Amino acid sequence: MTKTFTPSRPIWCAGCGDFGVLQALVSALEELKIPPHERMVVAGIGCSGSLQNNLSCYGYHTLHGRVLPTVTGSKLANPELTVVGVGGDGDGYAIGGGHLVHAFKRNPGVTYIVMNNGTYGLTKGQASPTAPTGYQDNLEEDLDPVMLGLSIPGSTFLARAYSGQPAQLLDLTLAALKHTAEGGGMSYLEVLSPCVTYNDTYRDWRTSVYDVDAEEGYDPTNRAAAFTRMQELREEKRLPLGLIFKGQRHALESVALNKDFPAPALQDIGRPDISGVCNDALQSFIR
Amino acid sequence: MNNSTKPRLEDLNVIVAGQGGDGSLTVVNILADVLRTSGLRVYTERDVLSRIKGGITAATLRAYNGERLCISSHIDLMVAFDQAAIPKYAFRLNAKSIVIYDSSNGELTAESKLPEGVRLIGVPLSRYAVKNFRRDIYKNSISFAVIGRLIGLDDGQMKIAFDKRFGRRGAQALKYNLDALNVGCTLADDAGLTIGEGLFEIVATDSKAHMLITGNEAVAFGFAVAGGRFFAGYPITPSTDVMEWLVKWLPKFGGVVKQAEDELSAINMAIGAAITGTRTMTATCGPGIALMQEGIGQLGMAEIPMVIVDAQRSGPSTGMPTKPEQSDINLLCYGGAGDFPRVVLAPGNPAECFHLTVTACNIAEKYQVPVFMCLDQGLSQNTATVDPIDLSSVVIDRGGRLDAEQVSKLEVYKRYLHTDSGASDFAPPGTPGGMGLVTGNEHDEFGLVSTDPINRNKMVAKRQHKMVSMKPELPLAINHGVETADIGFIGVGMCYGVILEAIDLLAQKGILAQYHQVRTLWPMLDDTPAFTKRCPNIFVVEYNATAQLAKLIIAHGGEEENINNILRYDGIPMQAQDLVNSVISKLNLKEDEVA
Repeated sequence: MTKTFTPSRPIWCAGCGDFGVLQALVSALEELKIPPHERMVVAGIGCSGSLQNNLSCYGYHTLHGRVLPTVTGSKLANPELTVVGVGGDGDGYAIGGGHLVHAFKRNPGVTYIVMNNGTYGLTKGQASPTAPTGYQDNLEEDLDPVMLGLSIPGSTFLARAYSGQPAQLLDLTLAALKHTAEGGGMSYLEVLSPCVTYNDTYRDWRTSVYDVDAEEGYDPTNRAAAFTRMQELREEKRLPLGLIFKGQRHALESVALNKDFPAPALQDIGRPDISGVCNDALQSFIR
Repeated sequence: MNNSTKPRLEDLNVIVAGQGGDGSLTVVNILADVLRTSGLRVYTERDVLSRIKGGITAATLRAYNGERLCISSHIDLMVAFDQAAIPKYAFRLNAKSIVIYDSSNGELTAESKLPEGVRLIGVPLSRYAVKNFRRDIYKNSISFAVIGRLIGLDDGQMKIAFDKRFGRRGAQALKYNLDALNVGCTLADDAGLTIGEGLFEIVATDSKAHMLITGNEAVAFGFAVAGGRFFAGYPITPSTDVMEWLVKWLPKFGGVVKQAEDELSAINMAIGAAITGTRTMTATCGPGIALMQEGIGQLGMAEIPMVIVDAQRSGPSTGMPTKPEQSDINLLCYGGAGDFPRVVLAPGNPAECFHLTVTACNIAEKYQVPVFMCLDQGLSQNTATVDPIDLSSVVIDRGGRLDAEQVSKLEVYKRYLHTDSGASDFAPPGTPGGMGLVTGNEHDEFGLVSTDPINRNKMVAKRQHKMVSMKPELPLAINHGVETADIGFIGVGMCYGVILEAIDLLAQKGILAQYHQVRTLWPMLDDTPAFTKRCPNIFVVEYNATAQLAKLIIAHGGEEENINNILRYDGIPMQAQDLVNSVISKLNLKEDEVA
């Protein structure tokens, strides 16, 4: 067998929440029998942006904040790949925040996992968009990206897990990958993933998380009710976990591509069809 | 007609001017189409503002018995929907010129400063449009009848042109416009312009079918034929037509176009597609290149192929969005953080836009580098007749792509393997066994992050070496004119047509000149500095304030003492006569002495 890169050991601090995310992703990909060559893992910049080096896959390390445009392009070019974007809260909600809005709206067939620790660990602990008021003299309200996702009509899968609860994390990772594999479009999974060095929230989060999966009567298919419940829990200073919303809408690639052709990446372009479409285009300039 | 004493025209120049939204461009486009089918080659140019309606705008048409890729200094026929437009362009009229103007609000006053002898034809265009159709916009179709009569078109020819232009907009649109044409014919009769009795006779000798195409369209077409299958972009003047053409056509080639939320997203979507092994392009202009700059560095560092079109416009910042400039040359050649390989190609006409885009796609993929197509507003948006492109000449070179079988025969697969050329064979995602890591961090041959100094030096050398190994495949300059002439021009993009006409005008005065048409700006190839050493009086013609092209050549060993600069950055396209005047005054030439 051809030797290729050996996945490296994670560079994270002992106890970092990202270990749990990596473990859940690897387990879920194996459980779904997705072979390494069909995995395309695209990572942002930050501590979480090295995750693609730690499993067997086609890995790509994007520019800071550009995970979502990148995975959208990859999926449109080759929908046969299982495309997973991973990144941190600074990457996805600050520098890349604009793209999140448009990715929800487009619903490409990708899984997007954000490791949210409320801080910029790699640059030594500045406040991130999800940092609460008061953290490092933060004067701003913290952003709730799940509520942002709920407010955008195109979103189809919104979930939150906590790396301190690995069983649910694995379940939601599996559910996210399945939603996308079944043609449901973008699955968005935020994982509360504490930074043990600059913002050790294990103790706080252990007591403030709240599992909507276990709540009787919670209906993840009702967008308005989900939004209301998120607002109530926010006011109660709770952090909602679980499958928060699941909707139905076509995936971007299912409507954007011409189905008469193989995927763009898989076409044999070596010999242009000069008597067919190329000539039609040429004649359109002569007519 | 054969015994006619009318002026014989081989070079007809028409300007249609008015308020933005008056439909000046439509009139010129229909006229261009009619004239090219009669055997003339045509070239059209637009002078528009960055607003949807209002302001004085104009469209210019040159119809020539041969190839001329620029407008002329003089105007034979002006159509003015707004009398206020006349003074703006009056300086280009002469004693033989004709002006058709809208007399709905009264006859033209003396303030228009027209040259002696100009023939004025007042037609109440707007009044008849509103009276007959309740919409002012039909004045452009009415005016077409008057133009057609003037240049000797019969009414049937005009009707055919209207069928072609408006037929695709539905039966109702066609009917109203044909009715407007009839109203115009009646007005032309009233003005004494009878059928088949044009005021001049058009001489045309070439009856071949030509393409009518802009540089932007030719780039888009070239990309599709070259196997381009993914395009992402964000609308920005004057590059948007590239995306517009591809939106319509690329799906028919099996490709996909995505309009992004901004240029950051556009280039990163394109990167996402490119890393799957899809031929990919984006198009923008200076401000967009600035936003894409980080992504362009990523292409260089992570060794990702892409073609990036820059339809340069007047800068800096937002500048003058609809006006031409060539002031991104430094940005394209030097822009970005760090050192990385790149290529900048500069076509001079639509046919080259097509062919160099094919070259760009091949070089980008083979050497895994960003390749810029350096255009400008004039080349991008002006329309020209072009001989039909020989599609069988298109050759696709995908470089070292590995399939599953080839990968399986390797002992080890490294995404960034050191090679003689600097480019490494590539297994696209989805290929069993070819898993690799692609990153903008410094990395080892497997793509794993590394700051090891020995590895760093080898990787920098690997990337830079591509610039050497690709050189034999890059387009050399083309020399036009008399190779021994002491006067030489250098210029790219929209300077091409102006320089070629200037050489002809100088030759008529007995002054010999040549044109060294650079086509690869980066890396600068050896033939250009060599040209500046052997030609003693060189004029580098460019649309910017700081002589970016001339300085690029000098930085690569060009002979500074032989180089004069002709610079323009007022948003107005140059004309050949401007270059002739510059040469004569700079060299103190007396025309009769040089011959």
